[in-house]
Order: sequence, then structure tokens, then C-alpha cells
Amino acid sequence: MADRLYPSHGTGAMNQVELVENEDSIEISSLAPHFAVHKFPWRQVFGYVASLVLTAMAFILVINHVLPVSALVSVVIALAVLQAAVQLGVFMHLRESRGMAWQILVLGLGGFIALCVVAGSIWIMMFKSGVA
Amino acid sequence: MSQILARLFPPQTRRPDEVVIEIGIVLSMLFLVYMLTRLKKWGWLWREWLTSVDHKKIGIMYLVSALLMLFRGGVDALMIRSQLALPNNHLLPVGQYDELFTTHGTIMIFFMAMPFLFALFNVAIPLMIGARDVAFPRLNAISFWLFAAGAILFNISFVVGGSPNAGWTAYPPLTELRFNPGVGENYYLVSLLIAGIGTTITGINFMTTILRMRAPGMTLMRMPMFVWTVLVTGALIVFAFPPLTIALLLTLLDRLFGSSFFTLGHGGMPMQFVNLFWLFGHPEVYIVVLPAFGIFSEVVPVFSDKKLFGYPAMVGSVLAITLLSYVVWVHHFFTMGAGPSVNAFFGVSTMLIAIPTGVKIFNWVLTMWGGRIRFTVAMLWQLAFIPAFLVAGATGVLLATVPVDYQMHNSYFLIAHFHLALIGGTVFGVLSGMYYWWPKMFGFMLNERQGKWAFWIFVSGFFVTFVPQYMLGFEGMTRRMYTYPAGLGWGPLNMVSTIGAFVQGLGFLVLVYNVLWSMRYGERDLTGDPWNGRTLEWSLPSPAPSYNFAVIPAVTHRDEWWEMKQSGKARAYKVKSSAIRPIHMPKRSAMPFFLGVSFFVVGFGMVFSWWVITIIGALGVIASLLFSAFDYNDSEEIDPEDVRRSEASLGRLEI
Repeated sequence: MADRLYPSHGTGAMNQVELVENEDSIEISSLAPHFAVHKFPWRQVFGYVASLVLTAMAFILVINHVLPVSALVSVVIALAVLQAAVQLGVFMHLRESRGMAWQILVLGLGGFIALCVVAGSIWIMMFKSGVA
Repeated sequence: MSQILARLFPPQTRRPDEVVIEIGIVLSMLFLVYMLTRLKKWGWLWREWLTSVDHKKIGIMYLVSALLMLFRGGVDALMIRSQLALPNNHLLPVGQYDELFTTHGTIMIFFMAMPFLFALFNVAIPLMIGARDVAFPRLNAISFWLFAAGAILFNISFVVGGSPNAGWTAYPPLTELRFNPGVGENYYLVSLLIAGIGTTITGINFMTTILRMRAPGMTLMRMPMFVWTVLVTGALIVFAFPPLTIALLLTLLDRLFGSSFFTLGHGGMPMQFVNLFWLFGHPEVYIVVLPAFGIFSEVVPVFSDKKLFGYPAMVGSVLAITLLSYVVWVHHFFTMGAGPSVNAFFGVSTMLIAIPTGVKIFNWVLTMWGGRIRFTVAMLWQLAFIPAFLVAGATGVLLATVPVDYQMHNSYFLIAHFHLALIGGTVFGVLSGMYYWWPKMFGFMLNERQGKWAFWIFVSGFFVTFVPQYMLGFEGMTRRMYTYPAGLGWGPLNMVSTIGAFVQGLGFLVLVYNVLWSMRYGERDLTGDPWNGRTLEWSLPSPAPSYNFAVIPAVTHRDEWWEMKQSGKARAYKVKSSAIRPIHMPKRSAMPFFLGVSFFVVGFGMVFSWWVITIIGALGVIASLLFSAFDYNDSEEIDPEDVRRSEASLGRLEI
């Protein structure tokens, strides 16, 4: 089973080498059960529908100007955070730990960059209020 | 009917020089089809290349595409320089000049530099970390075919419908529909969106490969430096491409569906596009230059016969550059006038980047210090890189000084700065890497003597082209200028620069001759280790067998292959017959190719707003994805007997 998931490793690597204490063998053994289960992927279907609904909600709110601008922006940001949570939880394997939890590190980097991007853009584009 | 023809072939696609090129393209396509049919190579092409998921073959396809695109972008550059050679010149029509500088920049960055680097990622990374392929081999093929779809879509623009003409940065309002009604900008937006999906997947794929598929014992701090730079490049790609995607998508909505995100009227914010574009654009600079740094970090130790000086400092500086590259983007538009505090912050953060970069330069020099340097072609490109990049970096720090930038902004000083950085860094880097890994890719060496000719011609042309442009910048010549009057004294410098450009073109031709000559007469690489290398890829035969490693090695040192050779244990890399087990490998698949074709159809329909074509293409995309999702028969097992036979034929089997 594990070989099917990681075809390029093959069995050669695992069996030949004396030091079995390598990261990969731990990873593969801890990973395999997650995928071995063959039941209907309700969670993924839910995630798919939920992300479509969240997107549609944001779009409808904006296109119809249902709320005053500042409230609208807050609602759209809240929807975006929900959307991110759904994506991370359902599709991005956030809850699966495998050996070293790289996803946490990369998520931290992502958070840092998102902060730079959003806060920086707001700061930079504030000049517009000065010249408008 | 005539209306459709008029949209497909507007006047700007019927200029005499373009008609000649179009006839040339049609003839060479016919010749290619004829040759493939006559030599009965269609089956071979389909089985061995178009449907391959082997990282080594995908790498070679990237390499061929990148060299073709280098030619196309280079011809654009020569046409630009010819137009600028003399004052009051009208060699090219105004519109065509705009199209040329747009396609030159876009092609060189997106369709030359990036695929060239991806070629080297694909060829080297799995071999360096002791893996049999990348983490997601089929996605890797999808990346390539999406890149190919984007590249072909972009390149047909000058034949069908007209080229984009708003510069490679495509700022609104230059791209706004009412000022730019043709389909050219649609081509730019759609093709970059399609190629961008492929690039993002490549970033994810190589990050995963490096984090998850290293041979046992290869800890992070034992990875070769090139692997480190590819790892952080993957992270840069994953975080840098979304802002570009959004910026392009919103511009496309503005143009096709009448929204007003970046328009001048209706509350649009054109400057927000600039902000988003450079949020991508600055990390992009590091996406194309960090892997080149990695290549140099492999080439220098091998040809200096010394281990890399200050490996931990190199890793640290790469990580510092990665983080800093996200907080400097405003230096591309200081003159927007975001205010003194914003500009001061981004000016200082830009200057900070010079520190880790300086650390790297010192480390390369100190690696060479006291080493036995062999002046191979790969090493020569590295040696030329150091002065070129030093000048580029120093002038970059000048440009980071905000008051100075207000003088220099968009002048030829800037043009000279980034051409020195991008050619001196990226192009020299990929050429160094190409000469270095060529034997590993193809099993034969590139002739060194011809390679040195190509090197010296190209590098002298390079400095002759760009040093005068610094002076032109000081004299006030600005970027994207179509022509200039005689009285300003810019004529001689421009003439020198143009001569230099043609010398570079000659250098490229010698390089192509070098490749073609070596394909026929080049020395075979029978050892698999022609340079006396240090990393694992040189422990394999050239070219490596489809499964790379018959037995995955256990790594105990940083320069593993070097240590093995030093301790006399290199024979241990001969494969013991009993150790060979069945090898699981991914199966070839036609799905990535069809996905690429479908995306091309989607894109073509969107460019002309012909929605029926778009829907047909979209159905193709969905069908390809569905087919792939339910295709469980995607891997195969190589019989150990076959592995034994192939290893024995390579003389690597120990009974």
C-alpha cells in the first residue's frame, strides 16, 4: 500500500538500508491508513459545497450592495477567513501529522507573508486618500 | 466570415517582416511533420516524450523550449536595438516597437528564464537527493504542458490577432479596453494565467519532493546547496504567484466583462494593479536568481576541488533573502508617491538584501581561494557572474536610495541594472548549469573549446551592450523610447550598445553550433562522473536509467559522493544483485498532454471572447481531470530482473 502511494521510493530503499530510523519510513507507515479507508468522501463533498456557498455569498453581498461599505468589508473578510479554514481543514491535510509537521512551518511563513501583503498594501495605498 | 478573418489577422499581423516569419514558421512545421513521418518517429515522440512523466525527460523538454524562447526573445531584443542604433530612426513602425519590448520582456522572464530553471530542477533535484522521481510525477508533466500551452498561446499572438503592447508589466490604463482595444493584451493575460498554474504546481511539487523524498540520512543540513535554493524557490513561487494571478484575473474581468477594478473611471484603482504586480514581481526576481545561486554553489566547489565555504552561512543567507524579498516590492514604484515613510521603509529594506547577497559572493570567492581551479565552461560562466552581479547589485543599492530613484526611475540606468542582474545572474547561471549537467542529461559532453568561444563572445558582447546603457541613463534616456533626436549625443553610445547586442547574438549562435556539433561528435561520458563531482547525481551512469537508483543510497555526509570516493568506498555504489527489489514507478500518461491542449483551447476562446470554443476547451479540461481522478492504474512495477539486466549492461552490477 505504502509503495503505491510513494512509487518513486520503492521497496529498495526501505529494506536494503540498515538504519531503519529514517524519516520516510515513519511517514509512510503513519500515512498509509488515512488513505487506505475506502468510504464515500463526505467530508470532501461538504468542503466543496461549503466553499462554493461561501464564495457565492460574498459575491451576492457585493454585487447587490446589501450593507454599508464598512460592514460589507467586514463580512467579506469574515467569509474569507471561514473559506480559508474550510480549505485548510478539509483539503490541505492540516490535521494529518506525518513525521515532521512541515505544514505548520509553511503555514507560519504563509501567515507572515499574508500579513506583509495585506498590511503593506493598505499602508501603501493610503496615499490615495491624501491625493483624492 | 470576413469579419472573423479581420479579427484573426488585423493589419499589425500583416507587416512584411512578419509575413516572412509566418511563412518560415509554416514551412519549418511542414518540414518537421515530413521528417517525423519519413523517419517513422511519431510513435517514438508520443511514447517517449509527449506522454512521459519521467522527470529527466520533462527536464529536457523544458530545456528545448527554453532555448527556443531564448532565440525568440533574443530576436526581439536585436530588433529593438536595431531601431535604437541611430537617432531619428524609423526602421520599425511605432506600434511594432511597442509590441517588441513587450514580448521581449514577457518571454525572457516567463517563457525563458523560468522554464530553463525548471529544466535544471527536473534534471538535477531527484538525482541529487537520491529519489526516483519527483513527489507528484503526473503533476510535473501537467506543469510542463500548461507552461507549453501558455507559451504557444503567447507566441502565436503576433501571427493571429496581434501582439500585446503594454510592456511586460502591463500597467493599466495602458491595458484598459478603451485605450487598447485589440486582443493582444488578452493574449498576455490568458497565457500568463495558464502558465502560472503550471508554475505554481511546479513550486509545490519540488517543495514536497525535497521535504519528503530525500534518501535516508540526508538531513536538511546535508542537502546540496542547489537543493536548498530550489526548496526556498518553491516557497517563493507558492506565495508570489497568487497576487499575480489575482492582478491578471481582475484585469481580464475588466477587459472581457466590463468590471472596473483597475480602470480610470468608475472608482477603479490602476495603482492597485501596480502594487499587486510587484508583490509578485519582486519575489519573482529571486525566483529566477536564487536557483542560479544554487547552481554556482554546486559548480564552484567541484571546479575548485574544495568543499563549499561557509555552508551554514549560505543556507542562512538564502533564507534571509527569501523573507526579505517579501518586504521590498515598493522600490519598483517609489515615484508613485506613497509618501516619505513608505518609501523610506522600503528603501532601507531593499538595501538590507545586499547583506545576505554579499555574504554569498564572499563565500563563493572564499571557496575558490586556495583551490585548484579548473577553467571549464561551467566555471567560466560563474566567474563572469561575479563581476556582473556585483555591478548590478551596487547599482541596485543606488536605485534603492529614494531621492536617487526619483532621478533614475525608468531610465536606461535601470535597464542596465536589471539586465546585468538577470543576464549576469540568471542567464549565466542556467548556462553554467547547462554545461555542468549536460553529460548527466544526454550522456555526452559539450565541446569545451567551442563552449569557451561562445562564452567569450557572449560575455564581451554583454558588457559592451549594457555598460553604455548606464551612461545613457545618466544622460537622461528613458525606457521604452521609440526614437530620439540627433542633438542629444545619445547616438554613439546607442550604436555601441547595439553592436554589443549583435555580438551577444553571435555568441548564442556559437553556443547552438556547440550543441549541434557535440550531438554528433561530442565525447561520450562513460564514467557518469566527468567532472569529479561531489553530489549524488554523479554516482549514477550518464544518462541515468529510468528508475535513477537501483538501490536508494544511505547518506552520511554533506558531499556524499565525494566522501565515498575519498574513503575508497565508491565501489559500494556498485549495486549488489541481491539488494535489488521490484521498483515502483509512475506510468506514462497522455492526460497531461490533453489537459495542456484543452487549456490552450480555453485560452484561445477567451482571447477572442469566442465562448463556444472556450466551453469546448473547458469540457476537455473537466474530462481530463475526471479521467485522471478515476485512473487507478497509474503506476507499474519494474521487474528486478530487468533492473539487474540494465545495471549489468551499465557495468554496475556486483554479483
